[in-house]
Amino acid sequence: MTLEIVVLIKVVPDGKEVFVDPVNFTLNRSMATNVLNPADENALEAALRIKDEHDARITVMTMAPPFAEPFLLECLSRGADQAVLLSDRAVAGSDTYPTSLTVAAGIKHLGNVDIVFAGEKTSDSSTGHVGPGVAEFLEAELASYSRSCKYEDGYVIAERELEEGVEVVKIPTPAVVTVVTDSNIPRRATLRKKLDAQQKGIIVWSLQEIGVEADWVGLRNSPTVVKKMLPFPTRERKNKVIGVDNLDDFVKELAEVGVLKTGGN
Amino acid sequence: MSEFDAIVVGGGPAGTSAAMRLAANKLNVLLVEKADPPGSKNVSGGVLWGNSLAGVMPDWEKTAPLERYVKSKGVGFLTKDSSIDINFRSSKFSETKTGYTVLRTKLDQFLNKKAKDAGATVVTGVTVDKLAFEGKKVIGVEQDGDIITSDAVILAEGANPRVAIDSGIRPPLKDQDVAIGVKEVIKLPEKTINERFNLREKEGFAGEYVLGFLEGGVEAGGFLYTNKDSISLGVVVSMKHLRENNQTHSYDIIEQFKEHPSIAPLLDEGKVDEYSAHMVQEGGLESIPKLYGNGYMITGDAAGFSFSNGLVLQGMNYAIASGIAAADTLVEAKSGSGISEQAFSKYEEKLLNSFVLRDMHTFKGIEELTWGSLIHQKMPSILEKVMLGVLMEDGEPKKHMSQIVKEALKESGLKSSKLLLEGYKMYRRM
Repeated sequence: MTLEIVVLIKVVPDGKEVFVDPVNFTLNRSMATNVLNPADENALEAALRIKDEHDARITVMTMAPPFAEPFLLECLSRGADQAVLLSDRAVAGSDTYPTSLTVAAGIKHLGNVDIVFAGEKTSDSSTGHVGPGVAEFLEAELASYSRSCKYEDGYVIAERELEEGVEVVKIPTPAVVTVVTDSNIPRRATLRKKLDAQQKGIIVWSLQEIGVEADWVGLRNSPTVVKKMLPFPTRERKNKVIGVDNLDDFVKELAEVGVLKTGGN
Repeated sequence: MSEFDAIVVGGGPAGTSAAMRLAANKLNVLLVEKADPPGSKNVSGGVLWGNSLAGVMPDWEKTAPLERYVKSKGVGFLTKDSSIDINFRSSKFSETKTGYTVLRTKLDQFLNKKAKDAGATVVTGVTVDKLAFEGKKVIGVEQDGDIITSDAVILAEGANPRVAIDSGIRPPLKDQDVAIGVKEVIKLPEKTINERFNLREKEGFAGEYVLGFLEGGVEAGGFLYTNKDSISLGVVVSMKHLRENNQTHSYDIIEQFKEHPSIAPLLDEGKVDEYSAHMVQEGGLESIPKLYGNGYMITGDAAGFSFSNGLVLQGMNYAIASGIAAADTLVEAKSGSGISEQAFSKYEEKLLNSFVLRDMHTFKGIEELTWGSLIHQKMPSILEKVMLGVLMEDGEPKKHMSQIVKEALKESGLKSSKLLLEGYKMYRRM
């Protein structure tokens, strides 16, 4: 039986080109080019590695305006089998709650899905909500922060990268796996697959097609309220080079520049 | 039955022109470009000279993303302290535009889109590995183990022709045929550029420089072109000299060029926006490989079609013209006797009848002069000494001009007989 795999992706502004507006502290994305969210590249690769071992079909999916299409084509060019764009004006301004709901509805509309891959988080908002949110709406098992995983007879075995160490979990399908950034090296697109991708094209679904009501989504139906933006406090660099010939002097110097506090016992 | 009538490898001016021409003739063509977006791996200066693009796009001057037209052309000899410049500007250049400065990331994206609009299948962001053969006949290209088939392949892969070399249809580049180009794009307001270069809106400056002040006698040329709101500047260093002087680095040379007292003020307050380096073909006629075979043709920089006589550096117009010639040859072969090495020999004939190979023949051997110690070291220092000798008022009685020249020549160690000989050679070759 063919494993049905979905990979969720998001197109984000290139983090290297995003600046914090010095006046109102909002993100200035106007100069930034769009890229595939870095962790999603690893999520796609994790899915492709399962497909390398098993009979599987990979659907890559995103909820976005049509500008995301070239990125879906890129995923097809790396080996995904079909691409779905969930696109509807009504979802504009949605936070992670209606986004998870909409994406889960898109996945259900596909039919029975065994594994859903997503990046651990997106580089533009970094909440890490959508993968777990989708797991909730699908009532599927979740393995978040996975650095590698495999499929065995109806189960996903995932290594989760946690602060205190690595946890190996075995969960039944349907399962959602969120993948850690840089946990694998994504394969490159090939010419043959790029040509095939142009032939395949992209499936576009509106909210109506996946059975989501317009008043469940959008800015007005998003529970998140941004009250205030604050700059991260930064310290001026002292640019001082201190030799360590004499330890006492070194400690004194560190105290002088305020790195160490003197006193106590 | 092949998947495509033609595969064009490389989406620069040569490849896109070929693809446009083929698609316009209803051929099923695949254009493969490694950079995504197209142009982002290119390091051309660049000035697009001539009107070759009209062959595929009659309205190119109105529609293509061009920066400024060349109103003012400079040639300069730089020594450590001085510069001797010739600046030619003419209102004739405003009537008939002879060259435009371009930013290749913009231009190449435009050209690739035009190829797509014309009906070509355009694939970017993937590098072809090599040609696919059946016996000696090219049957397509190979990429990551897959073969994509086509009746013919037009190679337009640029100055670093990996596909042609790896497919064994052209020898590897020799040091003496290659230079390293290092380039920066420096952002400056349009108004500032206009003021500094004495230009009005849309008018541009293109300057070539002999850098006669480099340590170890390293031979390098500099260029400086004005874009709308940036300056493209860079150096071209002979590979042979870099190899011989292994303490010399191309990035040092561009810094020295930028810091030169007559260049630095032009760049004040500018912000470096791009930094890049690439090979430059400078081998002249001798370095041109076999241009065609059974099922393939080589165009543009990949074939060594570039031109430099010290006054101008050209490549894009040769690329475009050769791309069009290759496309026409293929169209004729398909509707005539079919594809064969014999049919593709028409490609070379076309080039021999056009400026592409004619220029290469006319200026045969010029690379020996443009890369020579006379131009690179002796000339700048002789000119400097003569000018200082004439202009410096040091309280001593003035010397006769001929005396100053004689002394400058003597100091340079250049025999006047040698100067005459070199001068004659230069006259003959230019």
